[in-house]
Amino acid sequence: MQRVIMHVDMDSYFASVEQQACPVLRGKPIGVTGRPTERSIVVAASREAKRHQVKTGMPVWEARKACPDLILVAGNPERYLSVTKRFVEILKGYAALLEIYSVDEAFLDVTQEAAKHGGPLRMAEEIRRRFREELGECITATIGIASGKTFAKLIGARHKPDGISLLDEEEMAALLESTPVGDVWGIGPRIEARLERVGIRTLKQLGDASETFLKREFGVYGLHLHEIGRGRDSTPLVPYMDVPPPKSVGHSKSLPPDLRDFRVALLILRDLCDKVARRMRRLGYMGRTVHCGFRIGSIGPYCGKQTTLALPSDDGEAIYEACLVVLDKIPTRPEQVSHVGVSVGNLVETDRTSCALLEADQRRERLNRAIAAGEVRNRVGRPVDEPLEGGLVREDGTLLYPIRDGIPSLLADEAIEIGKAEWPVASG
Amino acid sequence: MLYSVNEPIDALVIYRRGAPHPLLHAFRWKDRRYDVTSTHLVHREREGEAACLVYSVNCRDETYVLRYDIERGRWTLEAVESAG
Repeated sequence: MQRVIMHVDMDSYFASVEQQACPVLRGKPIGVTGRPTERSIVVAASREAKRHQVKTGMPVWEARKACPDLILVAGNPERYLSVTKRFVEILKGYAALLEIYSVDEAFLDVTQEAAKHGGPLRMAEEIRRRFREELGECITATIGIASGKTFAKLIGARHKPDGISLLDEEEMAALLESTPVGDVWGIGPRIEARLERVGIRTLKQLGDASETFLKREFGVYGLHLHEIGRGRDSTPLVPYMDVPPPKSVGHSKSLPPDLRDFRVALLILRDLCDKVARRMRRLGYMGRTVHCGFRIGSIGPYCGKQTTLALPSDDGEAIYEACLVVLDKIPTRPEQVSHVGVSVGNLVETDRTSCALLEADQRRERLNRAIAAGEVRNRVGRPVDEPLEGGLVREDGTLLYPIRDGIPSLLADEAIEIGKAEWPVASG
Repeated sequence: MLYSVNEPIDALVIYRRGAPHPLLHAFRWKDRRYDVTSTHLVHREREGEAACLVYSVNCRDETYVLRYDIERGRWTLEAVESAG
């Protein structure tokens, strides 16, 4: 049975919510910004502003040039999240499998449920009607329906705003022929340029290309591209309750024009490192790969590099020191820096349960004998081959964290399960 | 134009079955009753520990922004937005 995937995309979301909340803004070109100042950027433009070519991410000064009547509105994230919760509640009533892709986008697998509502088109109309009644007349959504996420998003984008469209399988061939690869979700300018170099401009040409060639050029992603070119997309929906773990934690900051000095950037970087470390501790992660970068001048190139720590860390000082190592790798030492950022990746979970020190007695000796005999493995199944100089036993007596070179490792992957072991260190 | 008010008010609300929040029917400000003619948006916000509902409503031609502090059961008129 072919899947029926629905992509719900709220139109000019933040701007529409502002127009809903404040009727005097309706029908007017508005730009939602972080702070309504000239240095800010437009994070969302209303339909009226879009007609004047005001785009998301455009600096305010440029947006004002494009649309002199533009009304700037300070964004209200709590307001948008509150409305998102409400539209997600509505969508939950239509599909068991729902992926919340972003604050204003969601995918629904309605393969089973569509028939009960008289088909996917009727269902989409019902959703749109409920949005209008329960969220407000200004908050509209465009709904694309197809057999996969990529095509649902693609067909929806062609019927914005406030549209509903269903991609029939008979229409697929024509769509593949007419769609430039750059229109497809996930194909950015770099991949588009690489495909262009080998003469692939449309989805059909992508499907006709050799699978081996695409795999060689783009790795596993090449296989996905080939499938898309063939009109097939089996990408699964990630249910909203399965929030994937973060891949990295980062913070960045734009510097005001009067503070664009490299030394000031270093001070800000120090603060950002602490912020990153705090967030990692709150999320329960440590990381090994530290990426640091800055933008030279106000519109200059972005310079960034990364380094790998010997041990994972969630310490702001250690992250900052790694940043200094990274900065040493960058040959440029600009006078003016407009943006600075740091992120930590290669994350591992940490354990925050309180631990007791493993006593230096027979128990440790017994464990070390077992290690020497090759009988001990850590939690992820890797053999433990170095004897322990000490260890921290978790409060519940189930895990032991090795101490090496005087440093206890609280990494979940390196812990040794002692509850089940034949060398019960906890019981003496 | 938004005029900040921030004054406590009395509110007349309806708790309709199944509605996500109480419906604001009318409020009294400076000894005058204002009947809500349309509700544009109600959203939830947090003020420290306290959860609030923020109402954007119209009473005839003027838009009013009101805040309901759920914990304390207090209503405040935050702002008046006049089309003129």
